[in-house]
Amino acid sequence: MERRKFLSLGALAAVAAVPSTLSAIDYRKEKPDTWKAHKVEPAIEKLYGKVKLIEEGVKVKTPDVAANGGAIPIDITSKIAAKSVALLQDANPESTVAVWTVPENGIVDYSLKIKMQGSGTVTAIVEGLDGKYYVARKTLQVALGGCEG
Amino acid sequence: MKLKAKLKGDIVNAKVMMKHDMTTYNQAKKRGTKANFITYVTASVNGKIVYEVSTSQFLSKNPILKFKFKAAKGEKLVMTWKDLLGNTKTSKTKIK
Repeated sequence: MERRKFLSLGALAAVAAVPSTLSAIDYRKEKPDTWKAHKVEPAIEKLYGKVKLIEEGVKVKTPDVAANGGAIPIDITSKIAAKSVALLQDANPESTVAVWTVPENGIVDYSLKIKMQGSGTVTAIVEGLDGKYYVARKTLQVALGGCEG
Repeated sequence: MKLKAKLKGDIVNAKVMMKHDMTTYNQAKKRGTKANFITYVTASVNGKIVYEVSTSQFLSKNPILKFKFKAAKGEKLVMTWKDLLGNTKTSKTKIK
């Protein structure tokens, strides 16, 4: 019992020793140009550079037809050990929607609701810890655009 | 900000609803107001970041985020957002 206690204490200390700012990246400050790009391709280039995208390992779930463009549910899941995840679309004036920084041993299972002006394609990119980039795309219909409000 | 975190197995399912208008540049022009939207959201447990996202104006109004991470029951989840005009808000909840 004492050994067990001792070990658990050690584990706690190890967790506490990890600097909390290790993974903190504000992509709006780090890559300001990404958020101004009007097309998906240049946005990816500004974010990650000229990279080859591999079409596997990433899942994007959206409704096929969204009734309300003001709140379209999107789920991104992946089992790849990831460094970051980016979500882009081609219906709005700018392309980039969100960029996640995946913490160490983080689980890539993100859901959110986005606005889209019309029908288009959403693109999710996972930057793996192996330095490769994985992509998934999903095209959906939007019945009522959501950006005019 | 409404914040929920529930342990299922060894994974915590978290859900957050942030009260924010998320005014896009187009909407702001029409209404004659300033564009303002949440730009950066983090969540941490014991000072360690478990969720981090940089966001744009294309999140829905009052955006809802869902995510998963590993933590223990009873630990505190602290969530903070920051918007374009520099406002910040922090909420805490206990993992159930």
